[in-house]
Amino acid sequence: MKNNVYTLFYAGVLGTVCSLLLTAVASFTAPYQEANAEAEKNHNILGVLQVPYPPGASSQELVEIFEDNVRLEQKGELAMYIYVPPKDSGNEETVAVGFEGPGLWGPVKGFLALGRDMRTIRGITFYEQEETPGLGGEIVTEGFRKRFVGKKIHDKDDNVGIVICKPGSAKEQNEIDGITGATMTCDKVQAMLNEAIKSIVEEKR
Amino acid sequence: MADNKQLACMTCEPRGLCGGRGLLTLKEGAWANNPLAIQVLGICSALAVTNRLENSLVMGAALIFVCVGSNLLVSLLRKVTPYRFRMIAEVAIIATFVILFDQFLKAFYWDMSKQLGPYVGLIITNCIVMGRAEAFALQNPPALSIVDGLANGLGYAVVLAIIGFFRELLGAGEILGREIPGFSSWYTPNQLMILAPGAFFALGIVIGIFNWIKGPEPQEKK
Repeated sequence: MKNNVYTLFYAGVLGTVCSLLLTAVASFTAPYQEANAEAEKNHNILGVLQVPYPPGASSQELVEIFEDNVRLEQKGELAMYIYVPPKDSGNEETVAVGFEGPGLWGPVKGFLALGRDMRTIRGITFYEQEETPGLGGEIVTEGFRKRFVGKKIHDKDDNVGIVICKPGSAKEQNEIDGITGATMTCDKVQAMLNEAIKSIVEEKR
Repeated sequence: MADNKQLACMTCEPRGLCGGRGLLTLKEGAWANNPLAIQVLGICSALAVTNRLENSLVMGAALIFVCVGSNLLVSLLRKVTPYRFRMIAEVAIIATFVILFDQFLKAFYWDMSKQLGPYVGLIITNCIVMGRAEAFALQNPPALSIVDGLANGLGYAVVLAIIGFFRELLGAGEILGREIPGFSSWYTPNQLMILAPGAFFALGIVIGIFNWIKGPEPQEKK
């Protein structure tokens, strides 16, 4: 009996100490983590909209550039980040739409940028993902994201949707080469992109 | 011959780090009983994160931190921990250190935290950490347990770094994400090294080399 009480007491003390320690660290690092997440999101929107910004800009500068250049427009459920560049810059007007969905291990979130026609993909970015490093995690690399640029969000017969296919087999205007060894991640990314594309097309009508 | 060896050990024992056992423990953990190359423990993370040298180094640092921290705490508490509760206590302590590291990574090394994804959290289930706490820290004083944690963490980190170096070199033609002058220009990266089979090949070869250098166990020799 005495033994049991001691064990329970020990468990209580150890558990309390551990959780207090973790709570302290979590509240200490929370502002940094949130700032990281916010900067990451803004950074990604700026990047996908191809807003020019100086390399190595601080988080503060990025927030300012973001507020000066990007306009948020809410259409029903759809949040659109619109960048209208200065006329003499030669850049095109670009619209970014967020997408998210389940990946292989955890949620995947990102932005898809479309040209003014709302049909041509101008860029894509992922700001949150927990895919396998080196395999599915490769979706964040520039090499993979570049494959989307210039593709259409519908095929020749106007059927809406994109296809992430086997590497090296992309032929149609809405087909994108996938990543070797990351078929599951590619399938899931394709599904979440098509969902976002569907809502864009519906909103446009 | 054997007598001589024993005599030498007996005379040197009282001196040096931790009553002479420090260096022995360090050598045992990092080399003779290397957790990855000799005991073949904790290979899940070793296979998963070694596709880049930088990932491998951070993962190695994480394991050293967790191993040293949990060994120290388990050892400090070894006399007051109820015997049947010891494993739960070990896991709680290990989990605390792992989450600590993960939180700091998320706050101050965001990019790496994204790259490593779930594997930092999975250190909780790494058999090396739990194994050292159970097999060593429970029976030994705190200072020696720190040495043991450091040795095993180092043993893991070094093997990880070796595998990470060769996988990135052969798989991406780069080191630490940078091109190597005179190599990257003509070398065609071999995708296989980045993929899972490459990890198995690399780990197998490293284990083979370690065992080859170390030689067979004394009892196997005859």
